[in-house]
Amino acid sequence: MAVWVETEQVDGIGQRLRNAVAYILLAVSIIPILVGYAWLLIATFSYRTEGLLPKDPQGNIGGWTLANWQFVTDPLIWRVTFNSLVIALGMVVGVGFASSLAGYALSRMNFAGRKGFLSMTLVLHAFPSVTLLISIFFVLQAISALPGVGKVFGYNTVGGVALVMVSLDLPLGIWLMKGFFDNISWDMERAALIDGASRFRVWWEIIMPQIRPGLAALAIFTFLTGWSAYLIPATFTIGTKVSNLPVYINYLMGETSLTNWNQVAAVGLFQMIPILVFFFFTQEKLLNIYSGGTKGGV
Amino acid sequence: MEAVVQEQAMEMVARRRSWRVSLEAFSFMSPAMVLVTLFFFIPVVLLLWISLTNLSSNTFGNPLCVGGMRDFCESLGIRVGRVEFVGVSNYRRLFADRFFPKILGNTLFYVFTTLIFFNVGLALILALLTTHIERRTGFLFRAIWLLPRITPSVIYIMMWKRISADAPYGILNQFLVPLGFEPKAWLKEAPWLFVIITNGFVGASFGMLIFSSAIESIPRDYIMAAKVDGASTLQIIRTIIIPLIKWPLLFVTTYQTLSLLASFEYILLLTNGGPGLYRTEVWSLTAYHRALQTYFGNNQWGYGAAWGFVLVVIGIIFSLIYLRVFRFDELVQEPKIDAL
Amino acid sequence: MRVELRNLSKRWGNVVGVDNISLEVKDGEFVAFLGPSGCGKTTTLLMIAGIYKPTSGEILFDGRVVNHVPPKDRNIGMVFQSYALYPHMTVFDNIAYPLKLQKLPKEEIRERVQRVADMMGIGHLLDRKPGQLSGGQQQRVALGRALVKNPKLLLFDEPLSNLDARLRLTMRGEIKRRQMELGITSIYVTHDQVEAMTMADRIAVIKDGKLQAYDTPEELYERPRTLFIASFIGNPPMNLIRGVEVVRENGTYWTQCPAFRVPVPPERGEKVAGQGEIIMGIRPEDITLAAEEDGQGVVGEVYVVEPLGRDDLISVQLLGDVYVHFLADPHLKLRPGMKITMHFDTSKVQFFDPESERSLLWG
Repeated sequence: MAVWVETEQVDGIGQRLRNAVAYILLAVSIIPILVGYAWLLIATFSYRTEGLLPKDPQGNIGGWTLANWQFVTDPLIWRVTFNSLVIALGMVVGVGFASSLAGYALSRMNFAGRKGFLSMTLVLHAFPSVTLLISIFFVLQAISALPGVGKVFGYNTVGGVALVMVSLDLPLGIWLMKGFFDNISWDMERAALIDGASRFRVWWEIIMPQIRPGLAALAIFTFLTGWSAYLIPATFTIGTKVSNLPVYINYLMGETSLTNWNQVAAVGLFQMIPILVFFFFTQEKLLNIYSGGTKGGV
Repeated sequence: MEAVVQEQAMEMVARRRSWRVSLEAFSFMSPAMVLVTLFFFIPVVLLLWISLTNLSSNTFGNPLCVGGMRDFCESLGIRVGRVEFVGVSNYRRLFADRFFPKILGNTLFYVFTTLIFFNVGLALILALLTTHIERRTGFLFRAIWLLPRITPSVIYIMMWKRISADAPYGILNQFLVPLGFEPKAWLKEAPWLFVIITNGFVGASFGMLIFSSAIESIPRDYIMAAKVDGASTLQIIRTIIIPLIKWPLLFVTTYQTLSLLASFEYILLLTNGGPGLYRTEVWSLTAYHRALQTYFGNNQWGYGAAWGFVLVVIGIIFSLIYLRVFRFDELVQEPKIDAL
Repeated sequence: MRVELRNLSKRWGNVVGVDNISLEVKDGEFVAFLGPSGCGKTTTLLMIAGIYKPTSGEILFDGRVVNHVPPKDRNIGMVFQSYALYPHMTVFDNIAYPLKLQKLPKEEIRERVQRVADMMGIGHLLDRKPGQLSGGQQQRVALGRALVKNPKLLLFDEPLSNLDARLRLTMRGEIKRRQMELGITSIYVTHDQVEAMTMADRIAVIKDGKLQAYDTPEELYERPRTLFIASFIGNPPMNLIRGVEVVRENGTYWTQCPAFRVPVPPERGEKVAGQGEIIMGIRPEDITLAAEEDGQGVVGEVYVVEPLGRDDLISVQLLGDVYVHFLADPHLKLRPGMKITMHFDTSKVQFFDPESERSLLWG
């Protein structure tokens, strides 16, 4: 049922006409999106493309090939894929862990400065964090200088990139988690305290299992963010060994003036696989989490 | 006397207790606090500091080791380089920059055009359309509109590069040439158009989702009543829906203004500020270029930080406005369990 | 366990939740906190549980101040209105949770959970999740979880208000019996005066955060000390008639107002005679249809008839827009508009000061 129009009653023809106009406008609006994806798909499996048409070397329509997928035999691609995965999973774990702890405290514990922390989370949530990249560069340099830790989380390490990305996503994560915790019954938590549990056990054994759907939504969201990240990995890494998939793809595109677009498209589609899987199975969660008010965007 | 002593003792116990309670909460907060301190608080202060120095590839050293700190740093074996404290001269240089008017103009043009046509305008149209039609279909369209946002920026820009490419590769040309248009290298011909469209297609979905959930929560009686009174669709939109989603509209407008002001990832990938000199260079991209990505290998961190810090100040002002105007802090409920 | 509250208060900023409550619960006693919703009774209970921290005053368990003892060290069991079962755990794990936290051996846990579950009649449901149980079964699990650790004090927060009427009756009896069998000191919060009257040894009536009265159900019913208690306890509620005067004429005390004039027994009459206009209270069960006109009847016109099944609840309009309710046999077939004469049993009548709203009989 449409939300602001009763479709089944009143002026049949005028209503149907207006509906038709709405459908047409919406269908037109998504053409560029669909065209972009269509090109990606066609280019991936063809020798070259002109517009949306697949062409063989002689310029005839056709030229379907799997040759663009030869990159899967290149160990480098698996290296950068692995890096992407480390960043994405690092974000899932890091953001999930830190923000579910902090979100719990902000939602359900009375302590000095709670109000201040909440306002701070809100301010940071709206804060344009990319403007801080310049000085984050020096923070990472400083971490690099530390013995041990520097090797894992310093400048030009996958760990460092993951750490920065976790931090920049924390205000959003904390705010979302706090919202999920707000909706849990107080009596259940009181019962657990009376049963003899510490706050930490209540959090882990009683409350966390209740917010699994919310946690899953946050996990999907942060995974996608980490998996797709370009700017931060590109800024804080040098060379392909520590780069991730998007940085590698961008490198392929700029490598020579004669970019092999079809091969780049194949790598792109390769990277899109998990994203499309998530998209098809969890649209509703994604729509909800985005309308929950996130780093918008651009 | 004894009572006083006892009272003092009780007070001390109570104080120790409240400290212990806060400690428990802080242990929950600590992982987040450490990261936020490292990558938000320290960077904000550091950015201001760096913007007051001449830190660059030529003078490279620890930015904290300036003035009186130099000798101390040297005694610790920290690289001091030739970093100097230069006061506000980076800011003076910024405003005197030959390209300053151009960049400022670009930024305002980019932010407000994208905002009006896409992030708010198109977002509102999409929200109205998708809530007007049958629910499942509306949901599907919204989901498709989410695709640009979840597509990795690099791949998304790759698609647009191919759409706008010169003949014979470009998709736009493929459609326009049969209609009698001259084939063009669209990205070079109309870089702004594509900068705004690429950003706008990502930006529109944010407002679309917020507006459509706001529209869905309008009581249907209002609209039914207006229909009974004989209001046309446009009248319903103008007199009922728009006034009722005033706050979401205001929120999206301010929030997206700030987001657009600070964002540069898609521009970086699409045109990198070109073609030519500063054709599509915006403020945040300038900061990035000066400090972190230069053609000549001379990173002017100090100068770039000055560009960046102006945005940080704007960001802080906007954030405080959110707290004031939208009163998010009042949504916060009090915990219903006391710490003893 | 003996529980004592001394000048207990809870404030949130300017909002007063509980205002200076002092009372004592004896070992093994069943006490009900009775009051309308939002009166502070649950807040008081949560302070006893250690969930809320008192703003001032003290809570003592067996003479020891427990203000700063965390809930887990208070040795209490609590049953909530929402049951507060852990939805992701089985019934067994729900009941076993307090014991698991005490790190008891597995065998002992199994044994004790089984024993409590059998006692509550849910021994066959141990593998289910709470979501698969009916409301009554969930409440039994909640009770089992509260009982399994052999608490010294049981706290109930409106445990029956989410159940349907019939189940409420069953559970009421069951809770009362378990409490008597086990002899555990219990505090039971409710807004339902019938529950409080039927279950409690003593009732603490709370209004606006203040303790109004603390007494046995009989005392509260027979000798209400304030207008609030009189109107709150008893169902259907006591009739309150304003602007009544009690006078003495020829050795007889008369209570009179424009609507009626009836004699009052001297032991009540003498306490209130000549005090000007006061409030008279008479319970519906103390009003009957007069057999014949004897000059001491109260005349009125039937206004509304509400069949309750066993009785009809009759609302009668007297002179001067005064209304009274009483219960009548349905077979009498009273109908609106009928003129009737009633008899007031004034040996149980109450009188209140209209200013202070305190009883003039039991002040």
